[in-house]
Order: sequence, then C-alpha cells, then structure tokens
Amino acid sequence: MENYLQELEKKSIAIIREAKAQFKNLAVLWSTGKDSTAALWLCKKAFFGKIPFPVIHIDTSYKFPEIYAFRDKIAKEWGFNLIIAKNEKALKEGLSPEKGRLKCCTELKTEALKNLIKERKFDALILAIRRDEHGIRAKERYYSPRDENFHWNYKDQPAELWDLYVKPSEDYSHMRVHPILHWTELDVWRYVKEEGLPINPLYFAKDGKRYRSLGCMPCTVPIPSTASTIDEIIKEIETSKIPERAGRAQDKEKAYMMQKLRSLGYM
Amino acid sequence: MSMPRVNLVVVGHKDHGKSTLIGRLLYDSEAIPEQKLEEIRTELKQTGKTKFEFAFLLDSLEEERKGGLTIDIMQTPFKSKKYLYTIIDCPGHKEFIKKMLTGASQADAAVLVVSAKEGIQNQTRQHTFLIKTLGIEQLVVAINKMDEVAYKEDKYQETCKELEQVLRSLGYHDVPMIPVSAMKGDNVFKKSEKMQWYKGLTLIDTLDKNIIPHTLPINKPLRGVVQDVYQSEDNQEIVVCKIETGTLEVGKEVVFNPSGKKGFLKKLLAFGSSKEKAEPGDSVGLIVDEITAVERGEVLSYPENQPGKVKKFVAEVILFSGIKIENGDELIIRYGTAEKKCKVEKIISEIDPVNLTVRLKNPEVLKEEGVGEIEFLALEPICVEKYSDFPELGRFVIKGKRGTAAAGIVLEVRN
Ligand SMILES: Nc1nc2c(ncn2[C@@H]2O[C@H](COP(=O)(O)OP(=O)(O)O)[C@@H](O)[C@H]2O)c(=O)[nH]1
Ligand SMILES: [Mg+2]
Repeated sequence: MENYLQELEKKSIAIIREAKAQFKNLAVLWSTGKDSTAALWLCKKAFFGKIPFPVIHIDTSYKFPEIYAFRDKIAKEWGFNLIIAKNEKALKEGLSPEKGRLKCCTELKTEALKNLIKERKFDALILAIRRDEHGIRAKERYYSPRDENFHWNYKDQPAELWDLYVKPSEDYSHMRVHPILHWTELDVWRYVKEEGLPINPLYFAKDGKRYRSLGCMPCTVPIPSTASTIDEIIKEIETSKIPERAGRAQDKEKAYMMQKLRSLGYM
Repeated sequence: MSMPRVNLVVVGHKDHGKSTLIGRLLYDSEAIPEQKLEEIRTELKQTGKTKFEFAFLLDSLEEERKGGLTIDIMQTPFKSKKYLYTIIDCPGHKEFIKKMLTGASQADAAVLVVSAKEGIQNQTRQHTFLIKTLGIEQLVVAINKMDEVAYKEDKYQETCKELEQVLRSLGYHDVPMIPVSAMKGDNVFKKSEKMQWYKGLTLIDTLDKNIIPHTLPINKPLRGVVQDVYQSEDNQEIVVCKIETGTLEVGKEVVFNPSGKKGFLKKLLAFGSSKEKAEPGDSVGLIVDEITAVERGEVLSYPENQPGKVKKFVAEVILFSGIKIENGDELIIRYGTAEKKCKVEKIISEIDPVNLTVRLKNPEVLKEEGVGEIEFLALEPICVEKYSDFPELGRFVIKGKRGTAAAGIVLEVRN
C-alpha cells in the first residue's frame, strides 16, 4: 500500500480503537456507499476481523434495489450484527420527498436514527463523513458531541488537540466519531482498489452514466461518465472539476440546506 | 503520484485577511470547482455585493458569510508544485483560543497574516505566542493588504521591522516576509507587477522552499501508548498500542509504565497477518509473554530507556473559556491515552500573551483564557515527559465537563 494511504489508515484505526475504549455502547453507521464500506472495513481491521459492535443501516425505503442487495450480501459475508433503522410511522403516513426534502430527509433519516439510539441507548456512533465532501463537514471534529435532539452546536464546538480524543463527562447525549474525516474522495477510491473492497455496482458507469454518491432514488441523479472500473473512476476524479455531491439534492436545493440539515442532526 | 503532505495553519489578527488569503490560495491553485464559484457568485449577487469575496470559499456557514467572519476552523486541501497542503483557517473572534489551538495542534507550519495598513495588533502577538508554545517552529509571514498602502515599499519595511522584534523575542529567527494582496492576488501564487522593488519569492514558492513536512520520529527511543486490551479467540491478551516514537520489534523485551510490567514481545498482530516491526503512528496488537492485566493509559518502551514515574512537573498551561485554576485544585489530565489525577501545587506565573510579559508572579488563580506556568503534583503514578524530549508524551489536556478545557506543555519533570 502506498505510504500515505497507510498513514490515513493508521490514524483511522487508532481513532476507532479510541472510541471503542472510551464508549460503552458504540455502533457504526453504514449506508453501503464507498465511504462507509471503507469505514466498516477499517473497523474490521481494528478488531482483527470481527466488528465487536452493531452496524446500523438507515432505511428510508426509497433506496435503490442495488443498495439493499449489496447490504444483505456484505452483511452475510462479513458476519456482523446488522440493525436496520426505519421510521415506520412516517412511512405509514406516506412521507416522501414531494412533501419537502428537508422534512423527508429529517424524518426518514435523522428521526429513524434518533428513535433507534434512544431505544438501544447508543452513546457513540461511528460515521464515515469526510471534510472534503462539503463546506459544513469541513468544520467537523473527530469527536463531535450531539445533544438528545441531535443538535450540532457548530458555533461552539469543543476543542480537539493533537490526537487526544477526549470523552466529555457531560453535556452530550451521544458522540459522533468520524474516523475518515481526513480522507478525500480520491483517497477512498485508491484505498478501495488497494484493499480490494466490494463496491456497489451503482458506482460503475452504465449507458454513459454512473452514481458518484449514493442516496435515495428520488433525490440522487447520476453523473455522465464512462468509468466502469475502479481505475477509471480514479482517473475520472483526478481530472474532474465537478464536486462529488453535485448529484445530491439535499446539498444545494436551497443555500444552506446542508447546514440546516446537519444542525438538526443529519449525517 | 502521491505528494508529500503539509498541514498549514493560518493565524493573525481578525480582519487582517486570513480567510481571504486562503480563498486566494485555493482559487489560484484551482482547487475550487467552477460550480462552487458559481454558487458563491450567485449568492453575492443576491445579497447585493459587487466584488468577489474570497473568504466565502472558506466561510461556509450562513452566519459566517452574512457576518463576514469565521466562526469555526476549516480545513481544505490544495496543491502546489511540491506539496499537497491542508490549510487550516482559524477564527479570530469569540473563543478563538480553543478553536485556534484545535487547528494549530494539527499543523506542521504556520502562516502569520499581518495587514500592512493596520500593522501589528493584539492577536498578531497572541497568535504567534500560542503557535510557538505549541511547538510550531516553521513560520512564514504574509504582509497583506499591500494594495491598501499603494504597494509602497516603506510601509512593508516598517511592518517587517516591527514584526521582527516580536518574532525574535519569541524565538523565531530569519522568518520570510512576503508583501501580498490576498484580495488582488499579488505575490500569492503570481508574482506581482506592482511591487517591482520586491525581489523575493511569492508566498507559495516560499512555502514550497522553506517548509519541511513532518517526519516520523523513528530514530528516537521507543514510546507507545496502550489504547486497549482485547481478548483473542484463543483467550490470549492482545495489548493494543499506538506507537509514538521509535521502532517496536518482535522478540525484544518491553516494559509498560507506570505498572512496570515486563515481558518479551512474542507477536505483533495486524489484521490477517503478523508483522515484525511497528513504527510511529501504527496502532498494533501486541502479544507479550507472561504478562497480564496491562491497562489503557500505560506507556510502552524498552527497558533500557523508560519514562520515569513523575512526582512533580511544571507545565505551560493555556486555559480556554469556562475554566479557571486555583492553587490546590485537583484536576484530571489526559496525556497519551492516560487520564490521571493531579493537584495544582503552585501557579508559578501568569503570562500576558498580548504583551508577551509575565503579568503576575505566584498568583492564587489563573483565570479563564489565561496562560501561565503551573507546578503540578501527581496524585497517582504519571509518565509524562518533557515536551522537548518527547512531544508526543509532553503535551496534555486538562479535562473539563465538555472535554478538553485547557492545553499543557511539559517544561520540567521531577521523579
Ligand atoms: N484591500 C484589501 N482587502 C482585503 C485584503 N485581504 C482581505 N481583505 C478584506 O479584509 C476583510 C477581512 O478579511 P478576512 O479574510 O475575513 O479576515 P480574517 O478575519 O483574517 O479571516 C474583508 O473585507 C476582506 O475583503 C487585501 O489584500 N486587500
Ligand atoms: Mg476569517
């Protein structure tokens, strides 16, 4: 593995182990996308093959069929404890993106997770967000506390010095732990290649289009692309001038939508 | 293909142009996708602004853009010919100390921004003092807003002269100072036509030439910190350590402190394989012969060169807002992976970080956002080291209810 990828990996593994050592009831969030699959792989490595905490998948029911298929296949092969979080109540009431995207995302993702956390009493969640994804995410810490309403107090975040990740004694309800915060999109793809990680087929081009970031079907559009292998994807990103999440509606529909979503607890 | 990486923190008095300078660096290095530029142009137009605001490339929060100020730190990558930089922008406003230290603690080097128009201000001195305290030795100065002083050489020289004095008093020597206009782009990435009198390099070329990336402290004595202890499937104890300095090799005898437990390293575990050696930064699993009940927080070393069990130590401490320290206080400090109880034996001095002088000798209290030298008494066995010997074990934080409440640098230890 290239030296710098090793450095990224080392730091991530150390952070995952810190989280496991400091929190009583940890879980990792897995969307089946490339980032969270890489994070899941890092968790596997950190614990010598067996992830010792649950893996949570938030199911909005609007995901692509390929996502569900990929999820179930990997869960079986890697043998972890998969928990599916779903806001059944909102779905029964017929919530969909047409009722407003901010509301839909908040209800089906954030609320679903909130309910699960409350029920299972998780005190920390590992999330595979990266700084380079979005201006708001660039302001994140490796340890990022949330209150019980999931509010992210981005204006008054705790200090985080050197690699001393400190668990606060109060004033938070659960901790978000971000082990791949320092990776870029390109780093993730190079790592995927290096480690031979399984990848959702939606990322590869079909009929001149591919998904660069995976979300719900109604709110995610593919980008024009001919990249149908990991090498071709790496080459495409190396030369692309288009931001990664350009295909994700919640990022741009209105200015600051992502900021609002995140302050309400969105990932 | 993979360039060396450098983390760069940008500091300086508020409104001297830190965010603008970083925006300019990102813009000129073409690190910003056209789509994002378009988004910003649209937003500026909607709010009736006519000139492009480079700071918007960094300041992504609604409040930051509307208020024209940076609220929290931001890290963004960009490329030069030589390095892949991650640039860290720091706010200069409310509670900037904890935010600035958060950013600066990740940095290999710093850029100090000083406006040629306003000259040295309080935070110019304070920020420089803080980065020096954190041990950042590599510094480059950008004398900014040259366009506002008609690109005049005497204004540049005047600022340089004043600044040199401050820098020298803090122990920085021969610091390169580049006259720039972040807003107009002079001498940032492109050589300025308007300052023919300046014969030196642009800011980016100066950085490329002067900054040395962080190197792993492989040649130092071994130190590692115990993160956790796992049970293997065949019920062996796996001691999980993060290596800080030196090289750990299979077959050698190792010792954990403060417990003093010793044993031979039988195996180094990585996932799916075993290794013969581990280096700084590695987080590895150790199987050590005849050893049990090692605990998180202990320090790993070879028996020939062990950290001492410290009874007292003196540290320079920087308090954030919401915490004050009094003589006799009992505190929890975190170094490496250890959390240990200490007592404030004596506050030796309070330092004025703006005027860079000792404000008070032996004060009873160090108040919030204060800086001072404190003598601590260890209430349980502690293995901190002098920062100048082992920075990785010579820095600590004081725990507060919200986590990290203060930063400390160990100046002296007594066993
Ligand atoms: N004329 C001029 N104005 C500048 C320059 N750099 C920054 N500014 C302006 O100074 C103000 C403060 O800049 P900002 O980057 O937000 O400062 P920060 O607080 O240090 O991050 C903004 O209005 C900028 O447009 C410069 O080189 N020339
Ligand atoms: Mg700023």
